[in-house]
Amino acid sequence: MKQVVVHPERCVGCMQCQVACAVAHSEAKQLVPAQFESPRPRPRIHVGAGPYNEGFPNRCRHCDPAPCLLACLPGAITRVAETATVMINVDTCINCASCAMACPFGVIRYHEDRSAQAGKTVAVKCDNCLARQREDGIPACVEACLSAALTFETLDAAYKRQTDAVARSVSAVAAAEALAPGWALLNAHKKARLELLTSPAPSDEKRAAGNAREDTHVRHD
Amino acid sequence: MQYVIIGNGIAGVNAAEAIRRMDPNGRIVMIGDEAFPPYCRPMISMVLEGSVPLAKLPIRQASFYDDCKIEPILGNRVTELDVDAGRVDVNGKHVAYDKLLIASGADPRPIRAEGLELGNIVYMRTEAHVRRMLDALDGGARRALVLGGGLVGFKAAYGLMCRGLAVTMLIRSGYPLSMQVDAFAGGMILDTLTAHGLDVRVDIAAEVFEGKDTVEAARLSDGSRLDCDLVVIGKGVLPALDFVPRDRIEVDLGLVVDPFLQTSAPNVFAAGDAAESIDVARQARWVNAIWPEAAAQGKVAGINMAGRTVPYERSLSRNVIRIFDLDVMTAGVVDPQVITGAEVITRFDPATRHYRQLVFQEDRLVGMTLVNAIEQGGVLMALIQNRIPVAGRRERLLAPGFNYRALA
Ligand SMILES: Cc1cc2nc3c(=O)[nH]c(=O)nc-3n(C[C@H](O)[C@H](O)[C@H](O)COP(=O)(O)OP(=O)(O)OC[C@H]3O[C@@H](n4cnc5c(N)ncnc54)[C@H](O)[C@@H]3O)c2cc1C
Repeated sequence: MKQVVVHPERCVGCMQCQVACAVAHSEAKQLVPAQFESPRPRPRIHVGAGPYNEGFPNRCRHCDPAPCLLACLPGAITRVAETATVMINVDTCINCASCAMACPFGVIRYHEDRSAQAGKTVAVKCDNCLARQREDGIPACVEACLSAALTFETLDAAYKRQTDAVARSVSAVAAAEALAPGWALLNAHKKARLELLTSPAPSDEKRAAGNAREDTHVRHD
Repeated sequence: MQYVIIGNGIAGVNAAEAIRRMDPNGRIVMIGDEAFPPYCRPMISMVLEGSVPLAKLPIRQASFYDDCKIEPILGNRVTELDVDAGRVDVNGKHVAYDKLLIASGADPRPIRAEGLELGNIVYMRTEAHVRRMLDALDGGARRALVLGGGLVGFKAAYGLMCRGLAVTMLIRSGYPLSMQVDAFAGGMILDTLTAHGLDVRVDIAAEVFEGKDTVEAARLSDGSRLDCDLVVIGKGVLPALDFVPRDRIEVDLGLVVDPFLQTSAPNVFAAGDAAESIDVARQARWVNAIWPEAAAQGKVAGINMAGRTVPYERSLSRNVIRIFDLDVMTAGVVDPQVITGAEVITRFDPATRHYRQLVFQEDRLVGMTLVNAIEQGGVLMALIQNRIPVAGRRERLLAPGFNYRALA
């Protein structure tokens, strides 16, 4: 069984996955008409920023065991073993936000959704695009991701790649597999820019601190 | 192997399911006072407010006991526990155990007043209680008096306001939910409730209830008299441990358990509202009488009873409440006075009415109170529950939605 694997180091923060996700969960399944639907389709994947301002695609991890499932008051959250997907039953959901408190990744949102009764606010999160998968499609976020930060593969394949990378890193002769030059350059640039802003020369400390914008002020150590 | 579970609340139900998964053949006897199918206790407040029908309360099928091959003994309480003989008594019968789980939950803390035998004076703990309240509403109740501003009193008041009743609430602290939220958030909640018509009176008790068959008025400790045709008592809960021999099992407020949810008596476990374990934020023994704790503890207790040793070291007080246009989420320490060396940071944005208080102890986050923008509160909760050191600038965690960058 294939699952969505996230590779944050490759994310360029373009947010195309968010758009694709919202469209995939719309009635029309097309960008332009989707924008005029009510309730307005919203993404279930959220691109945030990682430690060096690199993109970070944040989506439901479909945990097993899932903390949201155990915390759900009305028992609206279940795990579908065949697809390794944690699902919310919108008819049973009572919008109590117990799952918001339980989710360590902060991926659940609360709003109206096409799948629920009109006017009812429900908990909404990634459903692994099961509807698309049933029609031999792949999750919309993966399809939209041009930088391969989101891939759809079996966990065995993903683990093997990771294990190979570890093996290479402990071997003196084999060089680590380089991230394609584009990402490496982009990440190096972001990291360098942040370090410039946040580690002022001792004599210059006051001025630099004044210049550094609050939200880019990250590391002191 | 003979397992006996006292209590068919969420702790007992989750324990039974965990045992059954690990031990397909063991005998499981479940003794419960309530004969209603296993249901979601917090949701009785939503039934009261009218947002959830009574029929949606059960969280398991009526066939739950058969499906899990459980022998239920329902409708009576265990009256005695003999830890030497390894048996409990219910309805005059002995039931022997190899492993016993005490998941008897809690009962409403009783109050002292005259006239408590009158009709339409109810506690709020069970589906039977909420049905009595709905009957009172059907009978035309218009003016309610709610005693207590804790979680249950507060939910009763909110539910009755949603039903259009005039509600007076008597509380001890200056604002409701004083155990759950800090003073600022408490003020926001109080303002919202009073703006919707709640009459709140501080530091006043009800002393006498008057009426013919059902309650008609209450005399209060300030000498005043208040007309009311429904009274809800929500003065907290106490672990339901009448049958527990206190000279044989260590009991503080709740049954004291070790990280494996075992009590001081051999083969006796406890979970849920009846149990007292180490609270991660306070680093002290505490009864966290909340649903997600009871659910998790029950599951882990069941796994341990079935023979696999799994520790549970994540007990944490927490809650999330939505009322009118306010969303409130809290966890861990809300009153910085209760721990040493607390550092507190707060942010309030009057335009969006977003409020956050974060309490740190050394490099750990130990408490949070969030009002509105609660969607990602679980990330903060995970920091508290897993005792993750917070390295970056703490103020970043005050932003309404935040990025993982904030944790670096
Ligand atoms: C109105 C209300 C609102 C709440 N809201 C929230 C909320 O928003 N969030 C939250 O986290 N928590 C909330 N709670 C608390 C939550 O319901 C409890 O923490 C949870 O139900 C505890 O589960 P339990 O299985 O430990 O005990 P219980 O649910 O109390 O179950 C124990 C069962 O054992 C039975 N029993 C007791 N003694 C005996 C005996 N001697 N023999 C046999 N049976 C016995 C009892 O009758 C009961 O059926 C709320 C509670 C109430 C009443």
